[in-house]
Amino acid sequence: MVRQFIKSFIRSNLLYYTLGTLALVSSGVLQLALPKILGYVIDLLTLRTATLARISWLTLGMLGLAALVFSLKVCWRYLLMGRARDLECFLRDKLFSHLQSLPVKFFHSHKTGDLMAYAINDLNAIRRAFAFGLVFFIDGFIMNSFSLVVMGESISFRLTAISIIPLIVALFIILRIRTPLRRRFTRVQEAYAKISEQTHENLSGIRVVKAYVQEEPEIARLNETSLNRMKAMLDYVRLSAGLGPLVELCFGLSFTLALVIGSSFVSRGVITLGDFVAFNTYLAMLIRPISNVGRIVEVWQSAFASMDRLDEIFEEHTDIVDGPEAQSWGNQSNERRLRGDITIQNLSFTYPGASVEALKNISLNLKAGQTLAIIGPTGSGKTTLVNLLLRLYPVGRGHLFVDGTDINDIPIEVVRASIGYVPQDGFLFSASILDNIRFFSEVHSESQVEEAARLASVYDNIVEFPDGFDTVVGERGITLSGGQKQRVSIARAIIRDPAILILDDSLSAVDTQTEEEILQNLHEVLQGKTGIIIAHRISTIKHADQIVVLDDGKIIEQGTHQELLARKGYYARLYHLQLAETTFQEKADII
Amino acid sequence: MSDLTNTGLTNVARNLRENKFIRMLGYFRPFLGLVVLAMVMAGLVNGAELVSPYIMKVAIDDYILGDSTGMSIALIGILYFASVLVGAVSNYAHVILLNTIVQKIIHSIRMELFSHIQRMPLSFFDKNSSGRILTRVTNDVEALNEMYSGVLAVLFRDVFLLVGITVTMFSMNAQLAIVSFAVVPIIIIITAVFRTKARANYQKVRALIAQINGFLAENISGMKLVQIFNKQKEKYAEFRELNGKYNDASLTEVKLLSFFRPSAELINNLGISILIWYCAPGVFESGLEVGVLYAFITYIKKFFGPINDLADKVNVILSGMVSAERIFELMDNDEGLENLDRGNALPEVKGQIEFRNVWFAYNDEDWVLKDVSFTINAGETAAFVGATGSGKTTIISLIGRFYEIQKGQILLDGVDIREYKLRDLRSRIAVVMQDVFLFSGDIMSNIRLDNESISDADAIQAAEYVSANNFIERLPGGYHEEVHERGCTLSAGEKQLLSFARAVAFNPSILVLDEATASIDAETEKLIQESLARISKNRTTLIIAHRLSTIRNADKIIVIHKGRIREIGRHDDLVAANGIYRGLYEMQYAWAQ
Repeated sequence: MVRQFIKSFIRSNLLYYTLGTLALVSSGVLQLALPKILGYVIDLLTLRTATLARISWLTLGMLGLAALVFSLKVCWRYLLMGRARDLECFLRDKLFSHLQSLPVKFFHSHKTGDLMAYAINDLNAIRRAFAFGLVFFIDGFIMNSFSLVVMGESISFRLTAISIIPLIVALFIILRIRTPLRRRFTRVQEAYAKISEQTHENLSGIRVVKAYVQEEPEIARLNETSLNRMKAMLDYVRLSAGLGPLVELCFGLSFTLALVIGSSFVSRGVITLGDFVAFNTYLAMLIRPISNVGRIVEVWQSAFASMDRLDEIFEEHTDIVDGPEAQSWGNQSNERRLRGDITIQNLSFTYPGASVEALKNISLNLKAGQTLAIIGPTGSGKTTLVNLLLRLYPVGRGHLFVDGTDINDIPIEVVRASIGYVPQDGFLFSASILDNIRFFSEVHSESQVEEAARLASVYDNIVEFPDGFDTVVGERGITLSGGQKQRVSIARAIIRDPAILILDDSLSAVDTQTEEEILQNLHEVLQGKTGIIIAHRISTIKHADQIVVLDDGKIIEQGTHQELLARKGYYARLYHLQLAETTFQEKADII
Repeated sequence: MSDLTNTGLTNVARNLRENKFIRMLGYFRPFLGLVVLAMVMAGLVNGAELVSPYIMKVAIDDYILGDSTGMSIALIGILYFASVLVGAVSNYAHVILLNTIVQKIIHSIRMELFSHIQRMPLSFFDKNSSGRILTRVTNDVEALNEMYSGVLAVLFRDVFLLVGITVTMFSMNAQLAIVSFAVVPIIIIITAVFRTKARANYQKVRALIAQINGFLAENISGMKLVQIFNKQKEKYAEFRELNGKYNDASLTEVKLLSFFRPSAELINNLGISILIWYCAPGVFESGLEVGVLYAFITYIKKFFGPINDLADKVNVILSGMVSAERIFELMDNDEGLENLDRGNALPEVKGQIEFRNVWFAYNDEDWVLKDVSFTINAGETAAFVGATGSGKTTIISLIGRFYEIQKGQILLDGVDIREYKLRDLRSRIAVVMQDVFLFSGDIMSNIRLDNESISDADAIQAAEYVSANNFIERLPGGYHEEVHERGCTLSAGEKQLLSFARAVAFNPSILVLDEATASIDAETEKLIQESLARISKNRTTLIIAHRLSTIRNADKIIVIHKGRIREIGRHDDLVAANGIYRGLYEMQYAWAQ
C-alpha cells in the first residue's frame, strides 16, 4: 500500500525527480574536474612556465566551474529534498483520510499515542530515506565510481589500487559494526522507555507514594533505572565512538600509502606533482560517501520498517459498509430522513475479540415521538445498544429495524444524519463554541446556534465569555467545566433537528436545577422525535415513556416509572437511595 | 555598607543562577579532572589534524621538489601515519571521556529533578498534570543530553580547531593567511542571514507540526463523534489546509538549506581560487613553496567544515536552553517543599486525633473546611458522613499533612502534627483510597511496596488477615503474579482487598479508609466488611462511610455539610436528636426494611 502510494507519488513528480537526478549527477561529475584543474595549476606553478594571465584565467575558470556546481547543487537539493517533504505531507494526508474511514473498533484497539507515533516517526523515517537516503545513495555511488575511474585512468592505476585497500577495510568495518551497534542502541531506547514508564507510574500513584512514605524507595528505584540507561548509553558510545576513529585510521593509512608511493612516483617522474595533489584531493572526496554508507543502509532499513508498520494501518478496512440494498437508495439518500420508529428483536452482541456477550437477547419497541430511558450499572450494555443503533459496530440482519427497515438496508449516512448524539464525556474540539455547535458546517445560521444553546441551557454561560460564541475552547482556549461541555454537546446535537436524539449519560455533570431546565426544554424539542436517554440519576429519566433497566447485557426490568417502583426491584432500590441522598442535602441546607 | 555588599552579592548570585548557561556549565564541576583530560585529548586530536597537512607540505617541498637531502620518504610516511594514529586514538578517548561525563551529569540532573518532584506537596500535583511533569523528567532531560553530548562537547573541540588552524596558518605565512581569510567575512554574513531566516522559519515549522499533532490527537480521540456526525469531509478539508501550510513552511526550510549548504562550498572554492591567484606571481617572484600552498588549501577546507555545522548546532543549543529553563524552573519551585525529617521524632502513637478550629482552602479563600473541630479518641472508629464535595476526603488528607491548613490546629496525641517529622507521621497512618493504585510488579511487592522491613511471611500474613489470600492463591502465579497497567487484571473488589492487605502489613496506628461504593459482588463485599471489622480493632480508624452497617457500628459519627461539622455523636444519639442524620437514616432504613 504505502509502496504503491510512493510509486504513484514518484510517477506524478517524475519531472522533478528526473531533473533533480540529472542536476545531482552533473554536479557530481563537474565537481570531479576541480581537483584536476587544481593539479594542473600546481604543475604550472612548479614548472614556473605559466604567465600570470594564464593562471588568472585558470583560476577564473575554476571559479566559474565552482559556480556552476553551486547552482546545480541548489537545484538538486531543492528538487529532490523538497520532494521528500512533499512526500511526507502526501502520505500524512493519505493516512489521515484512511484513518477517517476506519471503524470505532479500530480506535479502541489502537492507542491514540501509538497512532500518533505512526504519523510522526514513521513518516519522518520515510522522509529521511527519500531525502538524505536517496541523495547520498546516488551521490555516493557517483562520487565513488567516478573518482575511482578518474584516479585510476588519468593518474595512476597502481597508486589507486594500493590506496583503496584500506578503504575497502573501512567499508567492511562500517557494514559489520551496524548490527551490534543497532542492538546496543535498542537497549538504550529500552532503558529510556523504562525511565519514562517508571516516572509515569510514580506520578499517577503519587498519593500512595506519599501516604506510605515511599519517596526514598521510589528515588532509589528510578536511580537504578537511570543508572542502567547511563550504562547502556556508554556501552553504545564505546562502540559507536570507535567507528569514527577506525574509519579515520583506514583513511589515514590510505593517505600514507598515497603519500609514500605517490611522492616516490613524482620524484621518479611517473606522475606530476599536480597529479599527486589531485590524487590526494580525490581521495579526500571519498571520505564522506564511504562514511555515509552505514547511515544510508540504516536510513533505508528503518524506512522499510516504517512502511511495513504503516501498511498495517492501511490494510485495515472498515467492516461497516452499505450493502447492495442500501446502495440502491442512490441519490434519494440525501433527501430521505427517517421517522424514528425503532424496533429491536432478540438482539445479542459480542464485541470483537471479547468472549462474553455485551448484549443478550434484547427486544424493544419504540414509536417515533416516544422517549426511551436506559438505566443500569456501568458495563451493563447501555452504551453498546446506542453504538449499534449508530452503526459503529456491525449488526446481524433481522434484529434492528428503523422505520420498519432493517438497519443494514439503510445507508449509514442516512442513519447517522437522522440521529443527534450527545456523548458521555462532552467531547469538544479545540475550536470556537460556534464551530463546535454547528460542527464545522455552514448550513446553520448564527441565530440557530444561539437557539440551540438556549435550549441546552448554556446560552447564558457562553455570552458571559469574553468572546461569546467565538470563544475558543480546549487546549488553546478556555477550559469549560464538565457540565458546560455536556450542554454545548447537547446544543450540537439538537441543532441538527434529528429524528432520533440520543443522550448518553450526558447530564451527569450538570447540577440538578439546570438538569430540570434542560429536561423541560428537551420535552419541547422531542415533540414528534424519538428520544433515547441513558442516565444514572432517576430524576433524569422518570418521565420517559418507557424505562429499561439493563444489567449484564440483559433487560431485567422494563416499564414506566410507576410500574417499576411497584416492582420493588433494582429500579425501586436505586430510587430510594437517590432520594435519601437528596433529602439529606435538602434537609442539611435548611437546618 | 555590609548590607549593600550583601545585596550586591545576592544579586550577583541570583544573576549567576538565572544564567542558565553558566548554571548548566556548573554541572561539570565535579568532573573537572576528567574535563581537563578530555580537553587535552581534544588538543591532541586538533594537533594531529593540524600536523598532517604540514607533513604533506614537508613531503612536497623537501622530498619531491627539494633535493631529497632532508627526511627520507619512509620517515615522512611513518610520521604522517603516526599523527593519524594519535589523532584517532585521542579522538576515541575524547568522545568516551566526554560521554562519560555527560551521562553522569544527565543522570544527576534527572535524579535531582526527580527527587525534587518527590518532595513537592500534593497541591503541586493537583495543579500540574502528570503529563507535564513527565515531560520534564523525560523529554526535557533528553534535550539537555543532546545538547551536552552532541553540541557542547563538539563545539568546544571545533572552536579549538578553528583557533589552531588560524594560528598555524599565520605562523606559516602571515601574508597568505590574510589572503586566505579574505572570504571569512562573507561566510559570516551569509551564516548570519541564513540563521535569522532559518530560525524564524524553523519556529513556524515547529509550531505547525505541533498543531498537526494536536489536530491528529484530537481527531483520533474524537473520530467516533466525527463519524457519527458525518463530518469526515469537513475535518479532512481542515486537515488538508493545515498539512498544506506545514508543507509550504517545510519547503521554505528546504529552500534555505538548498542555498546555504552549497554556498558555503562555493565560498570555500572562492577562497582557494583567490589563494592560488595570489600565489601565481608570488611563486615566481618570492619563491613561495608549493607545499605551503597545498597545506593552506587543506587548512581552508578544514576551516570550513566546523563553520558549516555551526548553524545546526546553534539550533540544538537553543532548544536545549529552553528545556534547561523548564527544568530549572521546576527545580527552583520551593513552594511547600516537604522535608520528611524536619521536626521531632514521633514516639509511640496512641492515636488520639483532634481538629481545633481548622480552616482550609485549596486555593486562596475558597474555604473547603470552615472552623472544623472534633476529637477522636485513641482506638475509636469514626465515620464521616456527608454529600459529595462536603469536605470528607479533605479532612482525611489533612491528618497525614498532605496539605497545610490555613488556620487552626490538628493535634495527634495532644501535639500539633506540624511538630513531628513527616516521615514518622505518615508511616503511622495507613490510607486506603477508593481508587486503588497498584504499581507494576507482583502482588507481593504491591503489599509491602519497597519496604524491606516487611518480610514475605509478614505480607502473606497480612493478606490472610484481610482474607485476600483466597483470590491471590487462585491466581496462576500466586503472590508472584504480575499486575499490569494500573491493575486491570484484578477486579475492583480484589484490588480493594489488596490495598487492605497493604495497610495491614504496614501495621499503622491510625487507619484511614475511603469506603468504596463501586459495584462489588456480594461475596467480595462480605469479605471486605469482615476484614474491615478485623483491621479496625485496636486502632483509631477513620472511615468515609457509605454503608449503613459501617455507620451504625462507629463509635462516632461526624456529619459534614458544606465544609462545616453539623452533627457529632453515636448512631442512637443522632437518631434521637432528630437532625439531618436522622433524615438520612430514615430514608435508607425504610428501604432496608
